[in-house]
Amino acid sequence: VSDIAVAAVLAVTILGASMISVEIGLSVALIELVAGFVVGNAFGLDVPGWLAFIGSFAGIVLTFQAGAEVDVPQLRREWRASLSIGLVSFFAPFAVVGLLAYYGLGWNHRQAEIAGLALSTTSLAVVYAVLVETGLNRELVGKRLMSATFVTDIATVAGLTILFLSPTWWIVPFAVVSVAMILGLPRLSPAFFGRYGNRVIEPEIKLVFACLFVLMWLGSKANSQAALPAFVLGLVMSSFYASHRTEQERMRVVAFAFLTPFFFLKGGMSVSASALWADLGILALLFVAKMVPKFVGIYPLARRFTAPHAVFTTLLMSTGLTFGTITSLYGLNSGIIDQAQFSVLIGVVVLSAIVPTAIAQRFFNPHAVAYAPPPAAVPEEAVR
Amino acid sequence: MPFERILVAIDGSDGSKRALSTAFELAALTRASVTALAIEGPLPAYAATVGEVDEVKREKDAFFGALVASVEREAKEAGISLDVEVRPGHAAEVISQFAADGGYDLVVIGRKGHFLRDHLLGSTADRVAGHAPCPVMIVR
Repeated sequence: VSDIAVAAVLAVTILGASMISVEIGLSVALIELVAGFVVGNAFGLDVPGWLAFIGSFAGIVLTFQAGAEVDVPQLRREWRASLSIGLVSFFAPFAVVGLLAYYGLGWNHRQAEIAGLALSTTSLAVVYAVLVETGLNRELVGKRLMSATFVTDIATVAGLTILFLSPTWWIVPFAVVSVAMILGLPRLSPAFFGRYGNRVIEPEIKLVFACLFVLMWLGSKANSQAALPAFVLGLVMSSFYASHRTEQERMRVVAFAFLTPFFFLKGGMSVSASALWADLGILALLFVAKMVPKFVGIYPLARRFTAPHAVFTTLLMSTGLTFGTITSLYGLNSGIIDQAQFSVLIGVVVLSAIVPTAIAQRFFNPHAVAYAPPPAAVPEEAVR
Repeated sequence: MPFERILVAIDGSDGSKRALSTAFELAALTRASVTALAIEGPLPAYAATVGEVDEVKREKDAFFGALVASVEREAKEAGISLDVEVRPGHAAEVISQFAADGGYDLVVIGRKGHFLRDHLLGSTADRVAGHAPCPVMIVR
């Protein structure tokens, strides 16, 4: 099958996924993952090189955006509660899943580490959506929960970069350039965005993309990868984006319209239906190995810091999606895990996005707030 | 039976506009008070990015802000006393519960709303008719 034929099939699939997402109110990323799974297995499509390349870059862009979404002042205010819940949320499932994979499933230690990392994540977006929907994002419990999720995210990307490091001398320029970008970009951005911003050619997005590509290149030369510097780069840019929402929106438009669909499609296409079916028992085991330590570790802390919503907090901290997918894809792309292991991990990641969220919303939803109409008048044309 | 408190479900669709007109006509005849209730559907479930959630939230705020303004203006023009409420949640559940909690004696609702699920899974109106504690008028 030619590249252009695959591209055409995937473009139509991406369009369909977007339409279905709007109609049924389900995340487009989840639909793209499932669509990739269906298309890949139904048509027997392999992931072409160009898709793997775009998908890898999209993963780094997603990581940068996750960093840029961190509310640093809030994280500073709530660091005590955030740090304990966030770190326990990371380390408890990382240890249990890793040990289970190594001793119980016979995976080697690098495979077990990938499994631990992929299943230790907490989905910031899933948590955020539930908090906004319930109005808890404006209350202390919501702010603590978001901050704790940031901490878990940081631990995941740090683990992803540090655990799989087998450095060459390129680690030196990689580290130097990473630090230079992290220190320099926030200082350069006001002047650069002021001089070149607000144009359809989007130099400000190209600046960020150039930085990310350079990090990816140096990371690969150093036998490492760019997740941690990309996340920290997003983190140090978060204050700038907080006061320049338009630039952040444009970045999101480019990412969601073109990049992230290929990332999630690639993830879905790499899942083998037969492997998933054959390993359903392992899938269930790993799912339990993620949920139980999350619950045992977080619940006591949640009782202290987010009472009376401890179960709700614990369930939301047990969700996972984007970083789980990024980590699993990294493991697959770098040859650490095979397709069967990847399929099981993605299955658990998707389950962990759905099951705890659904239980939290259905049975432990603290309250749903009444809608407060926006203060500014809204043009009537907005009503469809 | 004279109606004193009428609840009308609104979502900006053609069916809901017809339901609102009918509720206003009934209110004018019976001197009933009218409450318009809009249900803010869920944010994208199981989202992968905060941007996805933010965008839908902004879209919803703009949509419901405009809907409320438009309905209030229509009520003013028709000389009807109107309260408007926007609540999050599952439409049929919230409308039925709101009608029960508020002691309404009639719910007016359009036959079909905006969304595909209304056409595929049976309409919200059907489900409200099955669960509301008072008479339900479904407007075609």
